[in-house]
Amino acid sequence: MIGVGGALAGAIVLLLVLLAWMRAEASSKDSRSDWGASDQEQGESVESCSPEIVSQIFSAPDSKFISGLESPGLENLFRRERTAVALHWVQETSALIGKIMRRHLEASRLSADLEIAVEVRIFLQYARLKLYCGILFVLIGLLGPQRLAGTALYAERFIQRIGEGLAEFQLAAQLQEREGSESL
Amino acid sequence: MSAMVKPLPVQEAYEDLLQRSLSRIPCDLGRLLYLASTRDYNTGNYHHDGLADRFSVKVARSALEIAHRQAFYKVAALSLEDLVRDLAAYLESSRENPEEFLRTWQRLEPYRIAIPMEVNPTVARLFASNVRLALAVLRLRQESSHLDR
Repeated sequence: MIGVGGALAGAIVLLLVLLAWMRAEASSKDSRSDWGASDQEQGESVESCSPEIVSQIFSAPDSKFISGLESPGLENLFRRERTAVALHWVQETSALIGKIMRRHLEASRLSADLEIAVEVRIFLQYARLKLYCGILFVLIGLLGPQRLAGTALYAERFIQRIGEGLAEFQLAAQLQEREGSESL
Repeated sequence: MSAMVKPLPVQEAYEDLLQRSLSRIPCDLGRLLYLASTRDYNTGNYHHDGLADRFSVKVARSALEIAHRQAFYKVAALSLEDLVRDLAAYLESSRENPEEFLRTWQRLEPYRIAIPMEVNPTVARLFASNVRLALAVLRLRQESSHLDR
């Protein structure tokens, strides 16, 4: 049984996460209005950021450089700016995972011999990445992006690997479908 | 991003652009702004008279577009410290009044025009955010040098 203390601690943690989420949402909304093109206008391109850019967003040397200038105003501006960019990256990454998954589902429909085990594995990877993005979003709101460079780079590499894997799967499904229609 | 495959005439036009025009500009930000200035704001098409005469309008357009994207990604990937240095070099080469330059850039944000079409939106945001920060750093340095005097 969870005691009153445990329940109270749980409620406090939940409240903190909720606050961090709301704060993160507010900064990402600020940055959304800051930049014109909507996701719809971006079309269906599946281009992710390069690892160099991701490192740059979560860069500790940039943070050190700003700290060295000893200006609290500038440090606040830096924190705000980088948090907004990092949150935008998480949202864009999450949307990209969704696009990759949609494409995979379209390709799966064309596939003649679906393997349930493979599909389950892909779905679990998708769910894991989505969860990862959610956690990263809250953590950026709580801690700021500079402490999360390793986690962000891991997510980026993981997405690229999944993207490549799914692209191969899609190609194989298309080839199979073409062969099927030729043999008819 | 830098490893774009260019057809041969475009490659030649690109190298010509690098040698004749871009090599004379002393900083990355200056090269980026120069390339952005060859783009028509209404149509988004690039044009360069000399390059179009030597090659063709179409080839010149492609070479300029590739050069613009490459220059943009190069500046977007600069560390903040390097960007501050680059922006200071650009400010110096402009020979404008530094105070007025910084104030105008902070208000009008003309660097936003330097963003090519169809770039990754996060990279575009990072670029604009970094220039804002670099401007704030130069402004801070300027203010402290005024106080020192």
